[in-house]
Amino acid sequence: MPKCTINGKEVEVKEGSTIMEAYYQTGEAIAHYCYHPGLSVAGVCRLCICEIEGNPRPQIACNTVVTEGMKINNKSEKIKDGVKWVLDFHLINHPLDCPICDQAGECGLQDQYMEFGKYNPEMSERKVKKHKVVDLGPRVVLDSERCILCSRCTRFTEEVTKTNELGLFNRGDRTEIGVVEGKQLDNNYSMNTVDICPVGALTSKDFRFRQRVWYLKDADTICTGCSTGCNTKVYFNKEGIFRIKPRYNPDVNGHWMTDTGRDAYKFVNREARLLRAQKHTGSGWTELAPGQAAKDVSADLKSAAGDSLALVLTAQYTLEEYEAIIPAFINEFKTKKIYFWINNKESFDDFDGLLARGDKNPNTKGLLRVMEKHGLSGSWSDLEAGLNSGAIKTVVVAGPENQFVFPDMNEKIKLLSKAKKLVWMQSGKNEALNALSGDVTLIPMKSYIEKEGTYVNFKGLEQKVKRVTTVVSEALTLTEATMLMAGRNLTIPTTKELFVESNRREDEVMLEHRKKNEFVFRRGSL
Amino acid sequence: MSVVQNTGEKKNWYLPGIFTGLGITMKHLFYNLLNRKKMITLDYPEQKYEYSPRFKGNHILTVKKDGSLRCTACMLCATNCPAECIKITAAEHEDPSVEKYPISYEIDMLRCVFCGFCEEACPVDAIRLGPEWQTPGLSGTNFIYDIQKLAYRPQLKGGILTHVDDEERHKAGI
Repeated sequence: MPKCTINGKEVEVKEGSTIMEAYYQTGEAIAHYCYHPGLSVAGVCRLCICEIEGNPRPQIACNTVVTEGMKINNKSEKIKDGVKWVLDFHLINHPLDCPICDQAGECGLQDQYMEFGKYNPEMSERKVKKHKVVDLGPRVVLDSERCILCSRCTRFTEEVTKTNELGLFNRGDRTEIGVVEGKQLDNNYSMNTVDICPVGALTSKDFRFRQRVWYLKDADTICTGCSTGCNTKVYFNKEGIFRIKPRYNPDVNGHWMTDTGRDAYKFVNREARLLRAQKHTGSGWTELAPGQAAKDVSADLKSAAGDSLALVLTAQYTLEEYEAIIPAFINEFKTKKIYFWINNKESFDDFDGLLARGDKNPNTKGLLRVMEKHGLSGSWSDLEAGLNSGAIKTVVVAGPENQFVFPDMNEKIKLLSKAKKLVWMQSGKNEALNALSGDVTLIPMKSYIEKEGTYVNFKGLEQKVKRVTTVVSEALTLTEATMLMAGRNLTIPTTKELFVESNRREDEVMLEHRKKNEFVFRRGSL
Repeated sequence: MSVVQNTGEKKNWYLPGIFTGLGITMKHLFYNLLNRKKMITLDYPEQKYEYSPRFKGNHILTVKKDGSLRCTACMLCATNCPAECIKITAAEHEDPSVEKYPISYEIDMLRCVFCGFCEEACPVDAIRLGPEWQTPGLSGTNFIYDIQKLAYRPQLKGGILTHVDDEERHKAGI
């Protein structure tokens, strides 16, 4: 375990680790583009230079191994001047695109220029023109002029996905990133290249031009796209949620996430949501407040209590909600007919070797755990038989939040609507539900962005999620709906035992920053 | 807030102030009566005051040579706007050299404080504050100006040409 000194601080690092890793360990700032902790070392950007005592020239931190007693410094004037010139070379052919570039506001070049650059350009030569708006695949767009050739994206397709779609073509200042002729960047992890691109060369088609990044706030949550439960960050403002990016967690997802998981904001936004409760009575649909709808249902459920009442659960809710609804049905409604709606039985155990799993529910383990605890073992065929014979008259359904991963949605709606009375709780709109007739009540639910709770992933890891924002304020959580249906009043939830600190980002702008007029450009609304 | 109240003897000494004020009024009255040509009163609807060319009036969106909008929808004006009265929706242009353009650009004139920050923030001379300031309207919705009104209203005679030219910049190798 060699010891070294970084900017005057002594630190002990693992055998064989590089200076860059030592910098990461101490938390000292170091400029870099091509180094990424999840990828191999390339050493092409030359920005991470630092001074080593006894060494006449600056060395790059990412590719120099720490030895015993090394004294490293990157705060000297010599290094600052060096970084400035390296940056100047990077920017020789970089276009003045910031106004229309999606990366502006979170761009590595902008950040480093504000810190080290601020020079007058001394190049009198013309810039080399390259291809703009190159369509790489279904989700990624390339602008080669902006590219600084750090090769993070090519290394990603080489090492992580092992699909090798991207490569560097031509030589010298005409080098360009590109896909091999006839190929497309269309693997399920392609959007990670957009995240790791330190400049605006690779941009996401989905997010492109929809919002400037400084209008967005971010908060931590987890992905509910599949049972892996990748740690993510959602970017949102008052207009809704705009994109999802991965967050580092070595136990779950490392640095990456899937492209399908990035769509997990689409069913949360207001356009896709059920805003008010709807009730079908004889003549047609009437709208009412969600709480009122749940209270109205209460009496019916109490009279139906017993074997004619069934509950259908999907594995898309939190552990706390299952802990609330299952005991309520067993104890207060006296029914043990509680069924687990499995959406894709055939591909349930699929795994693509990296992150994506066939089980497209975030909390299958959690639901099974609670059902086991209460000794429930009803199978789906029991429910079907009960519905067909008319033994089950009233069905309460906690429907899926992410309807895209429920291919059997319409089929199941048709089956469940055989019940005399159907109470369907769900966050999103669905046309098939609205086409139903008979005694149907639709109650809007809160999505995973809007509530706190625990999800248990495929290997039994419990992950607690904080509330991010509110999209539909009237919607209920399953816990609240259960309380209202059981005829109790809502209590103000005490989240104290769940989480202590609030979901506030570390670099959130405080009043002092504004008073001092510090650089607050990229941090949310101004 | 503390209010200073005149108490005691001093409060009776209001007459000198009144007479000074009346004196000034009378001075101007007789001056204007004797020199009626030098009087600075305007008969407003018929006569109009000429403001300086730097006056900040209603906004103008400039156009390129081909008549399309110069604006690149970078949202810097909207970011810089202290009244938050600018609303832009960006879209992808078919021409890759243009790339981004606004499909809607709206300014709420009733919220606008005419500070000119949008003009200062604009990197491509796409928005200017023009000389017009008389803009009556019958209802509030008349004051939300869209692209049609900001760039192509009849007073602009087909649009104001910007002085930032992409082609020239391209030729200069920028």
